[in-house]
Amino acid sequence: MNWRNLLPLLHKEMVLEWRQRYALSGIVLYVVSMVFVIYIASVKPTPPMWNTLFWLIILFASINAVVKSFVRESGARQLYYYQLADPAVLVLAKVLYNAFLLLMLGGLATVAFALVTSSPVQRWSLFTGTLALGSVSFSIAFTFISAIAAKADQNATLVAILSFPVVLPILLTLMRLSAACFTPAGMPVETWPDVRNLLAVDAILVALVFVLFPYIWRD
Amino acid sequence: MWWKITSVVLVLYTIIAGFLVPLKSGIERVEPNVAQTGEQVSIRFFGYNTFFTRPTETPVRVWLYYNDQYALRAQAIRLINDTILEATFQMPTNLPEEKSFVLLNALVDHPTAGASLLPIALTLRQTKVSEGSLDSAWTIHPVDNLHLQKGFSFPYQNILYETIRNTYFHVPMWFVLLFLLAASVWYSIKYLQQPEADYDRCAATYAEVGILFGLLGLTSGMVWANYTWGKPWSNDIKQLMTAVALLIYFAYFILRGSFSDPEKSARLAAVYNIFAFASLLPLLYILPRMFDSLHPGATGNPAFGTQDLDNTMRAVFYPAIIGWTLLGFWIADLRLRLQRLKDKALGVD
Repeated sequence: MNWRNLLPLLHKEMVLEWRQRYALSGIVLYVVSMVFVIYIASVKPTPPMWNTLFWLIILFASINAVVKSFVRESGARQLYYYQLADPAVLVLAKVLYNAFLLLMLGGLATVAFALVTSSPVQRWSLFTGTLALGSVSFSIAFTFISAIAAKADQNATLVAILSFPVVLPILLTLMRLSAACFTPAGMPVETWPDVRNLLAVDAILVALVFVLFPYIWRD
Repeated sequence: MWWKITSVVLVLYTIIAGFLVPLKSGIERVEPNVAQTGEQVSIRFFGYNTFFTRPTETPVRVWLYYNDQYALRAQAIRLINDTILEATFQMPTNLPEEKSFVLLNALVDHPTAGASLLPIALTLRQTKVSEGSLDSAWTIHPVDNLHLQKGFSFPYQNILYETIRNTYFHVPMWFVLLFLLAASVWYSIKYLQQPEADYDRCAATYAEVGILFGLLGLTSGMVWANYTWGKPWSNDIKQLMTAVALLIYFAYFILRGSFSDPEKSARLAAVYNIFAFASLLPLLYILPRMFDSLHPGATGNPAFGTQDLDNTMRAVFYPAIIGWTLLGFWIADLRLRLQRLKDKALGVD
């Protein structure tokens, strides 16, 4: 495997995103409008409700952000990339880039949501860690599923239905972790089992992506 | 051929034995179920499948007992019919422990029909502060020389009653689901190793029949839950697991159907099948930590296997698993052959 291509590929993803700024703006607007809709619709979310709403926003924003990874470039150009670089490195670059993108979106959603509702989060460092873990996990699952769905026509719907069962354990663990962030800083909370579970799930997913991705890209 | 015959024989055996073997006798309830210390009280014992009036040489004995050490034996017993008996107790003036009340278990020992027990049948209240030493009534007639129930019968469980027979139909569905889905993933892996249309057909068919058994398990479980837990759906972890497994395979079929090129459809469906099945495994580990289960063997519930699944039940339960599994694979086999013929007629193969 030739890892030298990783950085140029990451750079390519960023340049591409910057050139197609409207897509990025679309996702940002999506997050902001979802927060705004919740602000108008709901009275005053209780901490469990806040947790649920927040992670639902993240979930749908993530799907929408990642779904385009494999369709924004033409098939011919992708074939060219596969000849230049190892497919595993290519998918790793996409996963890393998407993780970064989702972390940014998560930060945006947190700030926007905290502005319109009073945020129950007390431990910001743990919350940031949760967000980072969530971004990585979602990025792996959604990038892989969107690679499958990119081969079919109805892309966005397919990504949603294919990935919900897969990300369900991740989502539930993340929601538990972020609920732990609502407790006052002095109280001891046990977060390591959840973090360990998430890392284990991520490891399994990454291994599967590496093994299975070569079967997806060739047509 | 032999395994098809075996499956029919075992499933028939399961149905016949599962429905015809009687339940052991038990005590359904006692009335009244509250008593005060120091009073004389007549308590009616309502039996289930009991034979109180069957003739015996030694008399029927009835106890309300607290533990191995402390037990109250009825002074007089009147047998009303096979399922109702009335026992008169002289309650002692104090409780075996310094408490305001104790919970007593009911025990009826019939010399020929055997002993039956109802845990936590009666609350005995302390009316006034007791004085003096412990009443000898607690220790004078200990529970001894119980008679076992003879014959081939299933255990009696309060709240379950006759529904215990569902064990032979509901539980094996889950086994068959897992076996069939594992077979489906196996053929998906084989397809990726060697792209032959038949492997894909196998993977899809096993997943289809697996879903059928998943739905059967879910329905039979919901009927059972409605009876024993009070409502058909209580977000039990095993219900959630089954729901997620079904969602995955519905998504799998939608994915398979969304390509016009059969080779592409088979390849991507195989990839998704492996990916989704492997991500189901962490679910088995993560979800149980988050949700309490009402199923036996979880979060402090007594497990099948200690006393519930006794040897009589094992004699039906294990054949049931084998029988239903073979039947599931037979159904899959028939569907597979039909599919092969259809594809041949269409000239796809």
